[in-house]
Amino acid sequence: MNTENRNFPARPPPSFSSSPFASAPPPGVPPQSVGPEAVGFRPPTRPFTPPGPPMAPPAGVMRPGQPPLVSQIPGSRPPGPPLPSFPSTAYGPPGGGGGSFQRFPTPPPPFPATQNPPPSGPSPPQTLAGHLSPPMSFRPQQPMGPPPPSMTSGLPGGFASPPGPGFQQSMPGGPQPSYPGYPSNQVLQGPPKPFQSPSQGPPSAVSSYPSQTGGFSQHPGQQNMHPSYAPPPTSNVQGLVEDFNSLSLSNIPGSLEPGLDHTSFPRPLDGDVEPSSFAEAHPMNCHSRYLRLTTSAIPNSQSLASRWHLPLGAVVCPLAEAPEGEEVPLIDFGSSGIIRCRRCRTYVNPYVTFTDSGRKWRCNICSMLNDVPGEYFSHLDATGRRMDMDQRPELTKGSVEIIAPTEYMVRPPMPPIYFFLIDVSFSATKSGMLEVATQTIKSCLDNLPGYPRTQIGFITYDSTLHFYNMKSSLSQPQMMVVSDLDDIFVPLPDDLLVNLSESRNVVEAFLDSLPLMFHDNVNVESAFGPALKAAYMVMNQLGGKLLIFQNSLPSLGVGRLKLRGDDPRVYGTDKEYTLRVAEDTFYKQMAADCTKFQIGINVYAFSDKYTDIASLGTLAKYTGGQVYYYPGFQSSIHGDKLRHELARDLTRETAWESVMRIRCGKGIRFSSYHGNFMLRSTDLLALPAVDCDKAYAMQLTLEETLLTTPTVYFQVALLYTASCGERRIRVHTAVAPVVTDLGEMYRQADTGSIVSVYSRLAIEKTLSSKLDDARNVIQQKIVKALREYRNLNAVQHRLGSRLIYPESLKFLPLYGLAIGKSTPLQGGPADASLDDRCAAGFTMMALPVKKLLKLLYPSLFRVDEWLLKPSADLDDLKDVVRRLPLAAESLDSRGLYIYDDGFRLVLWFGRMLSPDIAKNLLGSDFAAELSRVTLQEQENGMSKKLMRLIKKVRENDPSYHPMCFLVRQGEQPREGFLLLRHLIEDQMGGSTSYVDWILQLHRQIQQNA
Amino acid sequence: MAWDLFLWIISFVISLALVASVFYQVICLTDLEADHMNPFETSTCINRLVLPEFILQGSLCLLFLLTWHWFFFLVSLPVTCYHAMLYNKRRHLIDVTEVFRGIDFEKKLRFTKLGFYISLFILVVFRLTLSVVYSLTEDDDLFHLF
Repeated sequence: MNTENRNFPARPPPSFSSSPFASAPPPGVPPQSVGPEAVGFRPPTRPFTPPGPPMAPPAGVMRPGQPPLVSQIPGSRPPGPPLPSFPSTAYGPPGGGGGSFQRFPTPPPPFPATQNPPPSGPSPPQTLAGHLSPPMSFRPQQPMGPPPPSMTSGLPGGFASPPGPGFQQSMPGGPQPSYPGYPSNQVLQGPPKPFQSPSQGPPSAVSSYPSQTGGFSQHPGQQNMHPSYAPPPTSNVQGLVEDFNSLSLSNIPGSLEPGLDHTSFPRPLDGDVEPSSFAEAHPMNCHSRYLRLTTSAIPNSQSLASRWHLPLGAVVCPLAEAPEGEEVPLIDFGSSGIIRCRRCRTYVNPYVTFTDSGRKWRCNICSMLNDVPGEYFSHLDATGRRMDMDQRPELTKGSVEIIAPTEYMVRPPMPPIYFFLIDVSFSATKSGMLEVATQTIKSCLDNLPGYPRTQIGFITYDSTLHFYNMKSSLSQPQMMVVSDLDDIFVPLPDDLLVNLSESRNVVEAFLDSLPLMFHDNVNVESAFGPALKAAYMVMNQLGGKLLIFQNSLPSLGVGRLKLRGDDPRVYGTDKEYTLRVAEDTFYKQMAADCTKFQIGINVYAFSDKYTDIASLGTLAKYTGGQVYYYPGFQSSIHGDKLRHELARDLTRETAWESVMRIRCGKGIRFSSYHGNFMLRSTDLLALPAVDCDKAYAMQLTLEETLLTTPTVYFQVALLYTASCGERRIRVHTAVAPVVTDLGEMYRQADTGSIVSVYSRLAIEKTLSSKLDDARNVIQQKIVKALREYRNLNAVQHRLGSRLIYPESLKFLPLYGLAIGKSTPLQGGPADASLDDRCAAGFTMMALPVKKLLKLLYPSLFRVDEWLLKPSADLDDLKDVVRRLPLAAESLDSRGLYIYDDGFRLVLWFGRMLSPDIAKNLLGSDFAAELSRVTLQEQENGMSKKLMRLIKKVRENDPSYHPMCFLVRQGEQPREGFLLLRHLIEDQMGGSTSYVDWILQLHRQIQQNA
Repeated sequence: MAWDLFLWIISFVISLALVASVFYQVICLTDLEADHMNPFETSTCINRLVLPEFILQGSLCLLFLLTWHWFFFLVSLPVTCYHAMLYNKRRHLIDVTEVFRGIDFEKKLRFTKLGFYISLFILVVFRLTLSVVYSLTEDDDLFHLF
């Protein structure tokens, strides 16, 4: 602080040395030092940002300093602006009683000087925006008239933003004449070297203060987007860099002029590009694979939040797979116990600050001062940084895993438990499901997590229930049949669930014999409900994972279901949604009971007929599980897919008996949660079994009308039992700045996260209303958001008939279209079977962001040219896979294309594709109808190459196993069903094409704009 | 007149029971919000009471109709209809898996019902006192006749 004083000769020293710091950041926020990238630029402006009455020096003191300051301006300013006008209007003596208002505009002029720094540094004025920004009404009083070009472009974005609290306070009462001094000081200080040392000095924890990326430097043009200052003369338009992207659309909405270039429409052909600037600015935040906010700028007031029509929230994937070398560090606090805030229970994280020479720490979320336990004590160095910082990952990393002591257990940590509930009726054996499933389970026995504690058990059922005693002392499993479905009892409750390592031989013998035992079963009934109850009774001592293999509609006992998808009269009516929710309350009740006893359910459904996935999936939805659906399962076709996905389900690292909570700063609250889980209390997600493939979305609301803190912290905590038997807490911490400016929120928006929240909202909407309504809701939300953005920019720019959108949201319209065309929401009743819809809905509710985006806008790429190239190898997938727009015109009839949405691979053979390629790839079957051909590796280089490519595509994302479909151009209706319908940019049936969609959005945005 | 007294005593008991039941449900919901109760307990507690409440309220309404108390019948009719509608749509029970999504509505509904039952209760108490007084004066009259 002392060094700073040296730089402000014009100021009264005592009042300035400390007060800006004392008053600007709320307690608990580290001194605003800056990341190394901001060195020398930000600090100088910081101390001045919150000019408030207390620190404003009296006018008399300030005056003397003025003349020299004014004279300095020209030097530090880019040449051009008519400088004399500034001193005269801005720095002149106060003009009478209205002086405070008149003078308000004066602070800006010096800012152009601060424009000069390179565009990479985080910019100063965020807090300026917060504390200094004037009410809109001041602007018209701007006495300067139309500013020169450099002037207009030099206006900081922060200045024109909506009124912030700080400034308003200072305006009316404070000793106004001090104002001129501020800016001029800034000019003086533009890039003062002395600052570098102090700003580098502070510890890294301190650098956590969010460097606001708004304002000037990162987006050179954006200062113009505010309806600020004075309307620019048209001749100066070149000075107005547009901060937004735009699409030129024809003047008359609806009439498609030839000039409309739809190839220039934005398309996410590079996949999901996450906004990186935010992550770079906050290196101690957890990685975006764990937590993605819908916008990294949190609005400071409810009124601002209500103008932000996009969702405000986050998508959390607590156990996302980390690449090699970035694993989450494991920490044991040992005897000191886990360091948490006494009041809000926040875990210690990189953003807490240590004070009182290391004896206390301040919680970053509730700013409570806590004691540091003796065992955890460490001295602070001169900058207030803990000496042992480098040895403490929890103080440097946004994601850590903490070993929980016994206080975090209500019972001894459970062993991993896998319980299988297998349908052995006629269709299950005939389709080969039983065989594939038992083989896969057997092959995975070695890889089940948690050896040697893992437990396993089986129940099979058709019209009766079959229990298997697999006690380790037996050599063969004993089968017990219970046929009384009304009054279920469990024979030998202790021996049905056995330790795998002890009973390994019995289990293997059982799995070998199971397909043979029911080989000629002709029973077509399914007593699913009673079987589920029995499984529940076996498992409710310990919990675990229940895998259900269901082949037909449950037909006997409690929970039997009706064929209800058949009635065409229901479709399109207000009752339609009832088909998409569980028919029988039995399922919801069972799901709730299972969650209560830590049972997570995964449903595998195989029938080619209606199986009421809506009801069965409910079990998975509320127990944090997932639904796998293989319509018309045939082991020859779907066997591989089931094998891979079941193996992944069994062997991936799973967190047992877990609960998740996300904490955030005062004034905001997570109000709704979306995904597959059950809420245990208002903000506690119960997740009996959770793994890396599950993500949860949540939405925020502001509880206070005004947030006064400059930043908001989020902390996700997942308390779980690891397969090894340790109780652990995974903690992800992130910080986001609070902003006063809507434009900044748009700039920091994250399309992926927004789309993820939207798709979940839309799917939830289909459970209570018509598909049309659900699609309209999404459309309206997008229209509102873009309209607000248009209004934000309309004042300053001549938008004409352009559709404008921020860079960060350029794919939002397309993804919105894709949501409307995704399986759960698409078209009318005939476009997808009810089961398909529901299964896809349950899947999409759990998908992490990247996977969802790929499903919404799948990749399409051409491979024939690459296959023909003799030398090209598969070194870099990116080179091969040049993604094409998803439109029929991307398909050339001489080519071979692969369509990949993460769940299916479709190989499309053009009609004129050279027969050589087809022959090489398909062997002798190349001329046959492709529905009967499966892709197999042939004895030639080309086929091997293709298979390697497919293998690589599959390995890229192991969470699902995309099945290969082959289709030839013109092979209707397969072609339409497999591919054409998923070319979402085209018009299919009643749906709109991308161009029409954009025009439609544009028209709606302009209405009432 | 003794019948009338009897009617009002029954109505008194029923409306008191209704008030108590709804009050208990409100308490359960607030407990749930404050995290003193988990959704499983809350929904069992509340769902156990829902049908008895509907039946009691319905029978009270019927009783008013049969005894030709138009005013009281019309007052309680809307609630009976609403209950019947909920029951027909199978939405009368609290959904344990989605308690928190509907908790605001459920609370508001129960607060409204609580207010309604309390006013009904007050009216009934008023009529009860009236009829008690009447029956007493009537006795007095009879007494005086002799």
